[in-house]
Amino acid sequence: MRAKLRLLRLLRLLRLLRLLRRKSMPYAALLPMALIVLVGYLGTVLWSLKVSMSSSRTFPAHDFVGLTQYARLFGNERWLQSLENLALYGVLFIVACLVIGFLLAVFIDQKVAGEGVLRTVFLYPYAMSFVATGLVWQWLLNPGNGIQQAVRLWGYADFEFDWIVDQDKVMYTIVIATVWQASGLVMAILLAGLRGIDEEIWKAARIDGIPTWRVYLSIVLPMLGPSVGTAFVLLFTAVVKLFDSVVAMTQGGPGIASEVPAKFIMDHLFGRANIALASAGSIMLLLTVTILVAPFMYARSRAAHRKASQ
Amino acid sequence: MFKARRIILAALVSCHGLAAYAAGPRAEVMHWWTSGGESAAVKKFADAYKAAGGVWVDTAIAGSEQARSVAINRIVGGNPPTAAQFNTTKQFLDIIEQGLLNNVDAVALKEGWDKFLPETILNVIRIKGHYYAAPVNIHMPTWIWYSKAAFKKAGIAGEPKSMDELFAALDKLKAAGLISLAHGGQSWQENIVFTAVLANQGGKDLYLKILRDRDPAAINSEAFKKVLLSFKRLQSYVDAGSPGRNWNDATALLITGKAGVQIMGDWAKGEFSQANQAPGKDYGCIAGFGANSPYIIQGDAFVFPKTTNTEAIKAQLLLASVVTQPAIQVEFSNKKGSIPIRTDVDSSKMDLCAQEGLRIMKDKSRQIGNGETFLNPDQNGSLADILTAYWNRNIPVEKVQKDIAAALRN
Amino acid sequence: MNATVTRARRNTRLDPARIGIYAFLVSAAAFFLLPLYIMLVTSVKPMDEIRLGNIFALPLSFTMEPWQTAWSSACTGVDCEGIRGGFWNSLAIVAPSTVLSILIGALNGYALSFWRARGAGLLFGILMMGAFIPVQVMIYPLVQILAALHLFSSLPGIILIHVIFGMPVMTLLFRNYYASIPEELFKAARIDGGGFFRIFLQLMLPMSTPIIIVAAIMQVTGIWNDYILGLVFAGRENLPMTVQLNNVINTTTGVRLYNVNMAATILTSLVPLSIYLVSGRWFVRGIAAGAVKG
Repeated sequence: MRAKLRLLRLLRLLRLLRLLRRKSMPYAALLPMALIVLVGYLGTVLWSLKVSMSSSRTFPAHDFVGLTQYARLFGNERWLQSLENLALYGVLFIVACLVIGFLLAVFIDQKVAGEGVLRTVFLYPYAMSFVATGLVWQWLLNPGNGIQQAVRLWGYADFEFDWIVDQDKVMYTIVIATVWQASGLVMAILLAGLRGIDEEIWKAARIDGIPTWRVYLSIVLPMLGPSVGTAFVLLFTAVVKLFDSVVAMTQGGPGIASEVPAKFIMDHLFGRANIALASAGSIMLLLTVTILVAPFMYARSRAAHRKASQ
Repeated sequence: MFKARRIILAALVSCHGLAAYAAGPRAEVMHWWTSGGESAAVKKFADAYKAAGGVWVDTAIAGSEQARSVAINRIVGGNPPTAAQFNTTKQFLDIIEQGLLNNVDAVALKEGWDKFLPETILNVIRIKGHYYAAPVNIHMPTWIWYSKAAFKKAGIAGEPKSMDELFAALDKLKAAGLISLAHGGQSWQENIVFTAVLANQGGKDLYLKILRDRDPAAINSEAFKKVLLSFKRLQSYVDAGSPGRNWNDATALLITGKAGVQIMGDWAKGEFSQANQAPGKDYGCIAGFGANSPYIIQGDAFVFPKTTNTEAIKAQLLLASVVTQPAIQVEFSNKKGSIPIRTDVDSSKMDLCAQEGLRIMKDKSRQIGNGETFLNPDQNGSLADILTAYWNRNIPVEKVQKDIAAALRN
Repeated sequence: MNATVTRARRNTRLDPARIGIYAFLVSAAAFFLLPLYIMLVTSVKPMDEIRLGNIFALPLSFTMEPWQTAWSSACTGVDCEGIRGGFWNSLAIVAPSTVLSILIGALNGYALSFWRARGAGLLFGILMMGAFIPVQVMIYPLVQILAALHLFSSLPGIILIHVIFGMPVMTLLFRNYYASIPEELFKAARIDGGGFFRIFLQLMLPMSTPIIIVAAIMQVTGIWNDYILGLVFAGRENLPMTVQLNNVINTTTGVRLYNVNMAATILTSLVPLSIYLVSGRWFVRGIAAGAVKG
C-alpha cells in the first residue's frame, strides 16, 4: 500500500518534470546521480575525513586529534608493506588481465567452434565466491599437496613451485589467482567492443591485403579505446579494493608479506575496532588514487571539450 | 526504575513458573555458530529457551568479525537483535560506554553470578557494578594436541611434561621423518602458539605483567626474551606448507598420523571426533606443563542491545538466565567442544580433555584471561602483527621486544 | 550480407594459424578449468579421502551426498536446511537491482555523452573516485542515512544500496560505450526533433544491446554474489542466499566440510553461470552497427 502511494507520488513528480522546459531534461535525468554522488559518495568521504581526525574506536567520536592517525599510519610497518605490495600487484594484475583478456577476446572472435562454451569457461571463475575458489588456489599452490607435488610425482623430482609460502613471491600467487578470476570479464567487455566494430573495416582491410594481426593491432585496438578504458578502470578499482582473495588465500601471510591496504582498513574497521585509523587509511588510499588518476581524467576532459567545440 | 525492576522480576518468575499463557518472550539471537557441531550446540540453547517458554529467532552469521559488525550496524540503524554474541573480552566495552547495552543485573544478582563465574570473566562483563553480558562457555585456546600414532612411530614413550621435553619430542618426530609441529601459518594461530609459550614457559606472573600490566620492564626482561626465542624455535619444526594453512588442515595432519603435535584451542576436538578419533586413545591433550600451569580462559557471551520494550527486556533476561543454568551449560559445551562457565556441574558425560579442563578450573589460582580480556582489540591486533612478522622473518629478538613495548604503550 | 561473410570465413581450412588458435584456446581453457576440476572431485569425495590431501585424485568412493547436504541439510545456525533458503530472496533482490541500476547507468551515460550538462563532468569524476572506496568503509554512514529514510533493513533499502554501489561502473560502462557512437547520429536525431527521452528510448537503448549484456553480466554476478551489503541492509526477512552459503562454508573454529563447501559454492553460482551461457546469443556481431545504419 505504502509502496503504491510512493509510486503514485513518483509518477506525479515525473509528470511535473515533463512540464519543465525541454532544456532542463538532461539535468532532471542526472538528478538521481547528483543526489547519490553528493549524499552517498561525497558525504561518505567527508564523514571519513572527519572520523580520521578523531580518536574514534568502535563508534565515531566527535573530538579532533589532528593528523595523529595519519602519523600512526605511516609509522606502521604493515601499512607501508601493504602499499608496496599493492603497487607491485596492481601493475602485474592490470597488465596481465588486459593482455590475456584481449587475446581471449580476439581468439574467440575467429568464428571458432563452441564459442558459447569457451566464453562461459573463461567467465565462470567470475561467478564463484572466492571464499571457496580461493581455498582451491591455496591447495593448488601449496607445495605439500598442490601442483609442485603433482609434478614431482610425474617424475620431475626437483620441480619447485612454492611461491605461496615464499615471502618474496607470495604476491605473484595472488596475481595468478585473481587474473584467473577477472580476465574473463575483460574478455567479455572487449568482445562486446569487437562485435560493435563495423564489418566494413574488415572487408576493406582484406581487400587491401593487410595481415590480420596488423589490423588488430593498428586499426581494431585503437577503435576499442573506450572498451579498454572501461576494463582498465574496472581492474584499477579491483586492485584498490583487493581484499577477499588475500583473505581466502593467505590471510596476509606468510607473516605480513601479502598484506594489502584494503585488508588493513577492514581489520581496523571491524576486528580491531579502530575506525579512525581505518578511515585515515581509506582517505590516504583515495588520495593516492586521485593523484594517479586526476591528470589522466583532466587530459581526457580537455580532449573531449576540444572534440565538442570542433 | 523501581517499577521496572518489579516488572522484570515478575517476568522472570512467570517465565520459570507458569509460562503457559500466550506466546512467550521473543528473542532474536545473533551468533556465529554455523558449522555442524556449533549448530548442534546452539540448538541446545534454542530448545532450552523454548522449554522455558520463550520464542527463539535465529540469526546466524558465519565469521565472528562479520557477525559482530552486523550486530553493531543494526544497533546503529535502530533495528538491533535481542541478543548478540561477542567474545568474552573487551570487544563490547565501547558499546557499553556508549550506553547501547541493557544490563541483566536482575538475573545476575538473583542467580549469584559473582559466586560461580571465574574472576577473569566477571572483569569484562561487570562494568561499574552492572552485568552487561551472559557468558556461555569457556574455550582454552592453547591445548597441546598430539597424535598417538605419530608419537609411537617416533619412539616417544610418555607425554611431554615440560617445554624441554616438548622440544625433545619434536626433535624425535623430526628425526622419524614426520612433521613435528602441525601449524596453520595464519596470524591468529601464531598468536595462539605465542600465548602457549608465554603461559607455559613464562608462567602466570610474567604472563600478567606482559598482557595485563603491559609493563615495559617485563617486556624487555631476559625471561620474556627467552619466551620469544622459544616461540621462534617452534617455528623451525613446521613443514614448508604451513603458511596460510587453515587450523583444521593442520589437525588433519595429526589425524592421518603425518604430524605429531599441534597447539590449538579445544574446538580441535570437533575435528578429531568428525574423523571418529577419541581422546586418550587416538590422540592426547595436554592443557599445560606442570601442576601450576595457567588455564587460559577465552569464551563467548551474549550481550543485550538497548531497548525499552518490556517484552524484549523480558526476552533478554530470560535468555541470560536460561543459558547459564548448569545442566544446559554441560549440554552446550559437549557439543561445542568447550567447557562450562561454572564448575558446579556434572562432569560425568564430558570427554576426557574437558574433564581435565574442568578439574584445573576448580583451582582458582590457575585461571587466567586470554590476551583480549586485557588488551583492547587494537592493541591485540598490533601485537599479532608483530608476532606473525617475527615468526616468519628473521628479526632480532631485541627489536621484537622493543616493538611489542611500543605497540602496547598506548 | 552478414551471412555470406560468415559462411565464407567458416569454410577456412585447418591451416597452421587455425591450429594455433585452437591450441591457444584449449590450453587457456585447461588453465581456467583446473580449479573447477578440483572443486568437482572434492565435492564428490567423503571427508576421509579429502583429509589425505590428494587434491587431484579421483574419488575412491564416489558420493553425491555433499550436494544433497549443501542444498537441503547443511547447518547454517540452529536450522539445518542448506543453502536453498535464500534463493527466492536473492532473486527478489537481484532482478529489480539489476534492471534499475542498468537503466540509471544507461541514462547517466547517455546524458553525459551527448548532452554535456554543466557540472555533470565533475559529478561523474567524483562518482568514479567513489568506485575506489572500499565498500565496507561506506557502510556505517549509509546505515545511518538509510535509517533516517526508514529504509534500513528492507527490500527497497537493499535495492537502493545496490543502485548506489553499481552506479559508478554502470555509468562508466555506458558513457564509454556511447562515446564510440558517432556524434552525427545524435545530431541528426536532434534535427529530426527528437527530445531527450525519445532519442534515449528509441535510438540509443536499442543499439546498446552488447553493452547491456555486459552490464547485466556484471550486475547479476556482483549482486548475486554480494554478501556484506545484503547482510547489513536487507533485513532478516530478505537475507540473500550468499548468507546461507557463507554460513555453510565459513567458520573460524568450527569443523569444515570441504566437499559440502565446494558443492554449495558451485550450486550458488549456477544463476550467474546460466546468464553467461544464455547471453551468448546477444554477443553477435553487427547489432550496434546495424542499428547505426538503420
